[in-house]
Amino acid sequence: MVETFQSLALGFSVALQPSMLWYAFLGCLVGTLVGVLPGIGPLAGISILLPITYGLDATRAIIMLAGIYYGSQYGGSTTSILLRIPGEASSVMTCIDGNAMAKKGRAGAALCIAAVGSFIAGTFGVLMLTVVAPPLALFALGFGPPEYTALLVLGLIFLAYMSTSSLVRTLLMAAFGLLLGTIGIDVMTGHFRYSFNIAELGDGIGIVPVAVGLFGVGEILATPSHQVTGEVIRPKLRELWPNRAEWRASGWPIARGSVLGFLIGIIPGSAHIISSFMSYALEKRVSKHPEEFGQGAVAGVAGPESANNAASTGAFVPMLALGIPTGPVTAVLMAALLIHGVPPGPTLVNDHPDVFWGFVASMYVGNLMLLALNLPLVGIFVNLLRIPYAYLYPLIIMFCVIGVYEVNHSVVDVWIMLIMGVVGYGLKKFAFDPAPLVLGLVIAPIFEMSLRQALIMSDGAWMIFLQRPVAAVLLAISAGLLVLSAATYMARRRDWRAKLAAEAGEK
Amino acid sequence: MLGVVVFSISGDLPFGTLSAPSAGMMPKVITALMMLFAALILFTARDSPPLASIDWGDRGHAMLVVVITSVAVATYQSLGFLISMTGLVFALLVIVERRNALIAAAYSVGLTVFAYWLFGKALKSPLERGLLWF
Repeated sequence: MVETFQSLALGFSVALQPSMLWYAFLGCLVGTLVGVLPGIGPLAGISILLPITYGLDATRAIIMLAGIYYGSQYGGSTTSILLRIPGEASSVMTCIDGNAMAKKGRAGAALCIAAVGSFIAGTFGVLMLTVVAPPLALFALGFGPPEYTALLVLGLIFLAYMSTSSLVRTLLMAAFGLLLGTIGIDVMTGHFRYSFNIAELGDGIGIVPVAVGLFGVGEILATPSHQVTGEVIRPKLRELWPNRAEWRASGWPIARGSVLGFLIGIIPGSAHIISSFMSYALEKRVSKHPEEFGQGAVAGVAGPESANNAASTGAFVPMLALGIPTGPVTAVLMAALLIHGVPPGPTLVNDHPDVFWGFVASMYVGNLMLLALNLPLVGIFVNLLRIPYAYLYPLIIMFCVIGVYEVNHSVVDVWIMLIMGVVGYGLKKFAFDPAPLVLGLVIAPIFEMSLRQALIMSDGAWMIFLQRPVAAVLLAISAGLLVLSAATYMARRRDWRAKLAAEAGEK
Repeated sequence: MLGVVVFSISGDLPFGTLSAPSAGMMPKVITALMMLFAALILFTARDSPPLASIDWGDRGHAMLVVVITSVAVATYQSLGFLISMTGLVFALLVIVERRNALIAAAYSVGLTVFAYWLFGKALKSPLERGLLWF
């Protein structure tokens, strides 16, 4: 523990340097803007700004990009509360009670509770990250290819199990992502796979064009401007402070949301989105007045907002300690570290302590910055929401093109982005979640490498995955989740049939 | 269908053996899994809402945005950032959004010049010059 505090002190000595503070502030500010503006999420924001970090060192780059990620969670609540449009997918649940509070004249209080809840949860998440990540990294140093394969399988199954769409649909999307990830040169044999003599495809399909296409362009294609209303409730600065009853009502939901969010954040998947849904459901279940939910319940704002912030911090645990992304955003952040020659994973803490601890310490500072940014400057952000969407989305498309092109100076990447935009539009129409696709694409090289290495190690014997205790436990959990999911599905079908039979009987 | 296409173009990729898996193993296994998942979705299709219930009312907007963006992407390297992106923003505003052409022109020129300055000068990440000399 003493060692952790000493390392954290090293981190603060890095994070409190004026230039680091400047990049943390820049990340938080851009993140808040990204969260506030509908149609552009943290993934598109980070991808667009990724090329700008090429001139920076790894610490400054990751501090700024991570600031965009957790800053967007803060900013997303502003649009949800004042406009009833989630600026960011994880703020969907805040729309319900946040906007209801705003309509009752409590917009300021809702914004303050969301910001304070986000601050407490974010700080709790960083504290847990400080405590959990180093020992986990130490434990993961003993992992070989079979353990990594089993861990990635568990990650994909957990993602499918937790997903809001069905398990099979999620697995299909993840498999599609894995397939896209096999495009390019096979590093073990040198074979070109599906590159169709296009030189750019030899290096494989990049995460940035796929992610920006699916989440940025795809969203714009599915959102005609006439569907976006511009009615913004403008809170007054003196109304920002919640009353005593509102503070009391938000205490436990913030605490529960922080713990729940962090735990879900560690698990692969769109954790920050799922965590806000689960927190809302939990708060409604434990509330003495569940009928108030949907009518402006304080817990309906405090819980989900805390949960999504804690989850976004929790997602850094597997990324930093294991080198495994839990979602598309952490995948792009991982790519950013790799571009700067810093491989995330168990060796990061020892090999690059300044990057690891500087990053952790910057998140403490970043959370304070966000609290200071979000409350007094809410008026400025509200004014941004008055820009008509018809003028906003051409700007977003332009930034998507810049962001994707600047990564490799490749127009092929921009075409991939556009194709993925059309794919994202189609997936949205058929209710497929594109997040597993991006995750599949990111983990494909690690998954293929570890699977093939494990098979070579065992001379082709699949039993190696059951003979190694850690791999066996991870695969057993995966199997358990699949059985649980199938049982739930069958039970639902039975219910459905029983319901139909009952209805037929009544007729 | 995608699975069948992938299998048909994977012919020259060797699968290898279990003890020495080769370049074709992973794509073929994943394609088989995809076909299995797709079959399961078809099998449980009755649980989903009918395809006819999907609202395609935004397809006109989507198609126009894709076509205009495609033209801008195709001309990005030859014409450069300023010309292609000004054209993109202007066309989206005038053709898709039916906005006043003068306001659209002012907005698109102002926006792209600002972005060109921001990336090229302030962020030291120069954008494509294309036909222009500056």
